[in-house]
Amino acid sequence: MSPIDYLQFVLAPQILNGLTLGVAVVLVALGLTIIFGMLDVINMSHGEFYAVGAYAALALGAAGIGFWFLLVLVPILMIPLGMAAERLLIRPVFDSKDRHVTTLLVTFGLGLIVEDVLKVIFGANTQRPPTPIPGATEWFGILVPNYRLFLLAVGAAIIGGVAYVVYRTRLGAMVRAAAFDRHMAASLGVPVSIVYAGTFAFGVALAGLAGVLLAPIYSVFPTMGRDFILLAFSVVIVGGMGSIWGCVFAGLLLTQVQALASLVISPIWTDPIVFGTMVVFLMVRPQGLFGRLGHA
Amino acid sequence: MLDRLAISMRASHVLAILLLAAALCLAALGAALDDSFYLRLGTEALIFAGLALSVDLLLGYSGALSLGQALYFGIGAYVSALTLMTVPSFWLAMAAAGLATLVAATIGGLIANRVRGVYFALITFGMAQVVAKVVYNTRELGASDGMIGIPVVQIQFGPFAISAGNPVGFFLIVLAIIMGLYGLSAYLLETPFGRVLTALKANERRVPFLGYSVWRARMAVYVFAGLVAGLSGALYPVLRGFVSPELMFFATSGNAVISVILGGVGTLIGAIYGAVLLVILKSIIGSWTEHHLIVIGLLFMLCVMFLPKGLVGFSRPWIERRIVRVPSQEVTASAVSPAIAKSRSAS
Repeated sequence: MSPIDYLQFVLAPQILNGLTLGVAVVLVALGLTIIFGMLDVINMSHGEFYAVGAYAALALGAAGIGFWFLLVLVPILMIPLGMAAERLLIRPVFDSKDRHVTTLLVTFGLGLIVEDVLKVIFGANTQRPPTPIPGATEWFGILVPNYRLFLLAVGAAIIGGVAYVVYRTRLGAMVRAAAFDRHMAASLGVPVSIVYAGTFAFGVALAGLAGVLLAPIYSVFPTMGRDFILLAFSVVIVGGMGSIWGCVFAGLLLTQVQALASLVISPIWTDPIVFGTMVVFLMVRPQGLFGRLGHA
Repeated sequence: MLDRLAISMRASHVLAILLLAAALCLAALGAALDDSFYLRLGTEALIFAGLALSVDLLLGYSGALSLGQALYFGIGAYVSALTLMTVPSFWLAMAAAGLATLVAATIGGLIANRVRGVYFALITFGMAQVVAKVVYNTRELGASDGMIGIPVVQIQFGPFAISAGNPVGFFLIVLAIIMGLYGLSAYLLETPFGRVLTALKANERRVPFLGYSVWRARMAVYVFAGLVAGLSGALYPVLRGFVSPELMFFATSGNAVISVILGGVGTLIGAIYGAVLLVILKSIIGSWTEHHLIVIGLLFMLCVMFLPKGLVGFSRPWIERRIVRVPSQEVTASAVSPAIAKSRSAS
């Protein structure tokens, strides 16, 4: 095989696949990192919220609601869910002595319940919604499914939109202020309690949106969140917990490493590489590549 | 005079004796009815209780949440299985598993103890994931299927021997080992080293002011907890005759954390009660629905939010009050009253 052919038929599709997975992981990890950066809470149930979004899309899609409408509807439906979770579960233990551990445990319990509830309602079988955008486009001799191109575009738009809201709007400034020093922010008139609930709900809505977008590619099953969240955790840690740009950078980097490494070594070894990177980062640079939300 | 810690530890011992009595009743009942299912279930509960005990040592005494304690449990199980398949000797398998987890926990401790708090939870989680994935993909270790066909061994006690296939005999051996590990942990916490750990949990920043190394204490308890998990894990293949990578997965670590929270963090015996309770809950709920996670998850969340000391923390104060009343009378009777009597007689 000539080097050009290798580039065209082996390397390029692999990079593209990695890119799709990267955008997918970044979408899930974005909510995780915002919730951590803002509330100092490790949301262990984030993967389950992602699964809830995917199942909501599946059920509502089967009920005849169009894909485009779902993209808006599901995240909106997720917001009250996130608000309720924050109010009923996170808030009561938020001021306990060991906030990290307690909130981690509470959300872990929530994840167990949600996963089983999904199993009760939808069964344990794998389902796959129809691809909303069929067909493929030929690019330099490689066939790229249109939906993946759409996913890349939408993913980039969402990431850009989130970054714009957080870093360039008054609302974002309030959120960052509350993350930096909640008592000071409160005394300057930021409704900290609402900001917290809203941020958590926003992160949950992002997970739901990721569920809607990724269901046609990665199939829908009750434990879908569990497999995905491990990768998302690694991304959040390597990027720096609470950093949006770190999340994007690390997400794309880790998935490219995974995609390209699988060309050289057996694909089954890529998982240990990703988790190993996470462990090394935790050892050497636990704050990750970039700083925290509100701290930089 | 007894201080708070000693009193609550004694209350834990009372609960431990109750558990021991209940377990012996189960063994006697099982032997009388010639049962093997419930005895084996009980043995498994005790084995996982050992894992929960090691999580409680970390979470309850040094305040570090480990989400990957199944790593050492799994290493213990695999090393024990490999040893049993070459040399069918129970004690050799236990020794090999203990040694292997000692080494593994030392390495793991050097990695994990660089960070604390939530990062510690994530790093232990990550380490367990890496090793579990490696085992899952290694064909020599049976890959995703695990290893089957581990022979049933004769467990030697000097001139006597008990077959691991004998449900009552093996149940009693596991009971003795797990309660031994409990006793050893309790003893260790009563030593000055244990007090350093308690101080560590109360206020980590002040411990160095008193001249103690935080790192050394954390490292020591981490290695000891790893050893406890490894020795418990080593019993698993003897019971079930197989090992699988699931033993290292997050679900196993997660179950141990659930056990500790249900039973009571920082009570030691709570971890054992929690693990037993979890197995009972699973089999009771599992008999009418397969969706037991909803109930267990709900109980778990309620415990985290409203019963931070778990079930043992709920019942122990009652025992503590009884303990305090009895010895304090003894103290007055034996030590204080002669002095008072003497002073009275002098005046």
